[in-house]
Amino acid sequence: MIPEGMRDVLPPESGQMRAIESALCRRFEVYGYGEVRTPWLEYAETFEAVEDDTMEAGYRLRDQQGHELMTRTDMTAPVARLAATRFNDRPLPLRFFYVAPSIRPWAPQRSQDGEFTQAGAELLGLPTAAADAESVILLCDCLAALGLRGFRVALGTVAFYTALVDSLGLDDDREKFLEALADRDYPLLESIAGNAGVDQNALKVLWRTLQLSGTRDGLSQVRKMASSDAMDAAIRRLVDVGELVGDAGFEDAVTLDFGLYQDLTYYSGVIFEAYAPGAGLPIASGGRYDGLLRRFGWDIPGVGFAIALDRLHEALEKAGVAPSAAPACIAFAGGLDEPARAMELRRAGWAVAALPGDAPAPPRPRLQRSGGSYILELADGGEVSGSWRDVLRALGIA
Amino acid sequence: MKLGLTCEGGPPPAPVLDLLERAGLPVAALRVLAGPALVEAGEVTWLLAAGADVLEACARGALDVGVVGKDLLLELAPQVHELLDLRVCRDALVYATPEPGGGAAPRGRPRVATRYPRVTRRHFAAGGRQVELIAFEAAALAPGLGLADGVVELRSRLALDDAGSAGGGRPAGLLVREDVAACSARLVAGRAARVLGGARLGELLERLRASAEER
Repeated sequence: MIPEGMRDVLPPESGQMRAIESALCRRFEVYGYGEVRTPWLEYAETFEAVEDDTMEAGYRLRDQQGHELMTRTDMTAPVARLAATRFNDRPLPLRFFYVAPSIRPWAPQRSQDGEFTQAGAELLGLPTAAADAESVILLCDCLAALGLRGFRVALGTVAFYTALVDSLGLDDDREKFLEALADRDYPLLESIAGNAGVDQNALKVLWRTLQLSGTRDGLSQVRKMASSDAMDAAIRRLVDVGELVGDAGFEDAVTLDFGLYQDLTYYSGVIFEAYAPGAGLPIASGGRYDGLLRRFGWDIPGVGFAIALDRLHEALEKAGVAPSAAPACIAFAGGLDEPARAMELRRAGWAVAALPGDAPAPPRPRLQRSGGSYILELADGGEVSGSWRDVLRALGIA
Repeated sequence: MKLGLTCEGGPPPAPVLDLLERAGLPVAALRVLAGPALVEAGEVTWLLAAGADVLEACARGALDVGVVGKDLLLELAPQVHELLDLRVCRDALVYATPEPGGGAAPRGRPRVATRYPRVTRRHFAAGGRQVELIAFEAAALAPGLGLADGVVELRSRLALDDAGSAGGGRPAGLLVREDVAACSARLVAGRAARVLGGARLGELLERLRASAEER
């Protein structure tokens, strides 16, 4: 009935999703981010400008003038486009957030729906570690505000492994090394480094560094291995960001991860991913993308992240902290014929679904007229039978 | 801790179990168990299942780590981190064709039977060669059947047993022409497990690495 990879969202999940979205929007606003909504159709060149296969893989169609259009595959590029064309005379920094669906061609193994909603925040115009840190802090704050426990944000940097490749002197094997890193194939990385004549001890450190998400111990090892200014700088930057995030109270939530790799090619510095128990794939990912806005004609730096709402919802459910959806709704048999009485309950804050008088008995809580009196049956098994005033009293109204 | 082991119609391979045992993991109960099965042993829960299942469970965060063959990792390109070469169950994916005179005349676009269509396609495309792929589980039998001109298969699967099925000791009349990829048992972890596993995963990894290097 619907295309593969697409799905309908039903109550109560839809209500939970909306509650999650509202909570996230509130966090974004508390940090001074302003909401933007961009069209779900853009000129194809907006995504082609990013030069990333994933970004360019949207569905393409043509408008009546023959322009090539594309369904959006991601929100970062449209926000960059919007900032560079609509805000380029404004003082920096700029802060934008969005909650929006994107569409990517679906494949059975992708473990991501064809249409997926992301909530994201972008901080534009600041090149500093402090800006990186704000982005990570905001992400941690969002997840903590929803009651998610045990989540971890892995903090890495693109600059580290590009500097690493340079310092290893892998002339011919450079591409191979990066490919193995992208494939997350550590034995291959090790053998490439081994062939390049990296000594055994350094190799061992390299292996530990890339393979596991870091501990304090890992950091001191990486420091020992730093053999170039670029590597030093990358490590220092990451440590600075980690400390600022720790200062904000999220020390236990972040872990330095020098082997973290992002498939999106526009990342240029710090990158990060959030994981939660029970969800195999990251519930959020982000990073610094300093070259991206230049592609739209305004050369300013940027950092941001996007939360995958369906994965976040799943993680919250598994943790038993998914927000409760709509309040319990009283089914009022005969309520359609007594709109004034139904309104009286709604004004007092109750949800009331009005039904015809002869409706078959709905699940509790339910309210029914019987002759001159009413029967109220509550979800907890409580039952009140009497006048309208008795009903109001039982519901704590009168 | 939840660990997944690949098994194909029997217990997991003995070399893998030996290695895990040397690393201090409770494997005693697994030696006589054929998968698929879930086994509780002390603090460890074992999943014994087909390699693809182990990978899926790792990718979705249901297992902490798994042991699978490199052949499968190459074929499925799953969303997992390949942490460690366990250096056991060594094998190789090879391209093999019938011995001279044993098969059809070579053609411009040979037909290749395989359980590894992705690996095969990439191998030949990298050399700019065209082949016709035939997805066939019992690949080693395909040339004898007249179905294919060659196979891409694990070297150990090219031989026949006395009943004539693949995986035995008698050569199936196939000659290895090219190496496609070296294979061995690998330790993998899902992306989440790698980040959430912390010191516990690090310690397990060190033990397994020491165990793999001991041999």
